[in-house]
Amino acid sequence: MRKMKKEKTKVECVNIAIPKSIVEKIEKRIKQTDFDSVSSYVSYVLQEILSEDDEEEVVFSKEDEERVKERLRALGYLD
Amino acid sequence: MRLDGNINYIVSGLERSGTSMLMQILVEAGVPTFFDDARKADKDNPKGYFELRGGKIINSLMENRFPFNEKKGKFIKITAYGLRFLPRGNYKIIYSERNIDEILDSMEEMMGKKDIEREKTKETFLRLNSSVKDLIGKRDDICVCYVNYNSILSNPEENIKKILDFLNVSCFKLDKMIDVVDRKLYRKRR
Repeated sequence: MRKMKKEKTKVECVNIAIPKSIVEKIEKRIKQTDFDSVSSYVSYVLQEILSEDDEEEVVFSKEDEERVKERLRALGYLD
Repeated sequence: MRLDGNINYIVSGLERSGTSMLMQILVEAGVPTFFDDARKADKDNPKGYFELRGGKIINSLMENRFPFNEKKGKFIKITAYGLRFLPRGNYKIIYSERNIDEILDSMEEMMGKKDIEREKTKETFLRLNSSVKDLIGKRDDICVCYVNYNSILSNPEENIKKILDFLNVSCFKLDKMIDVVDRKLYRKRR
């Protein structure tokens, strides 16, 4: 199993209930990684999932809009 | 061949990204398409444009008066900028991409003049492409199949099979579809 980066920053934590069967699977999985606890592994995975939603959207500005319209008019795609 | 009459089918991509070639491939396969001859074939598109109203349907899209209900079950061509104005519906889109410099070269040839702000235009059209892909990728009423013009030219069979899989149709005219891919028309190679 590949090595994964450990979460080292000390942050305020809360308890969350996870089915025991999942915890057991995670315990097996982290044996050959740098994760020192089920909590750190779960935090890492959740952070990865959440960060996908935070990816920056492409900003299409008013200036872009005008430039595209101008080009489309020149090409005959817009009145 | 019949497509789902509850779905609006669209060929899209930036202008000069191979959308006309894709439409022609679909026509050869017998896939239902809808276009008129308002813009005739010319030196820039010797095989035709396969557009509606000479490509000027963007205006009606912006004003939310394009009759999508009348076009269900058939492919129409709407270039990338027009996708920003799609009303809620049920869409399947084949989205074509192409090397951006080839696109800009082809646009300049079509306009008959050099772009003195080419780098700005390039950044703008790259942002348009990304923002449109972002938009259609997030909408739950749109299914997208991304293809690449340059890849179609180098490997037409694989790409055409990908399109047929996306449409969930069988086609016995694969050879005719492949024949559409005319490398002689690939004049703006980079």
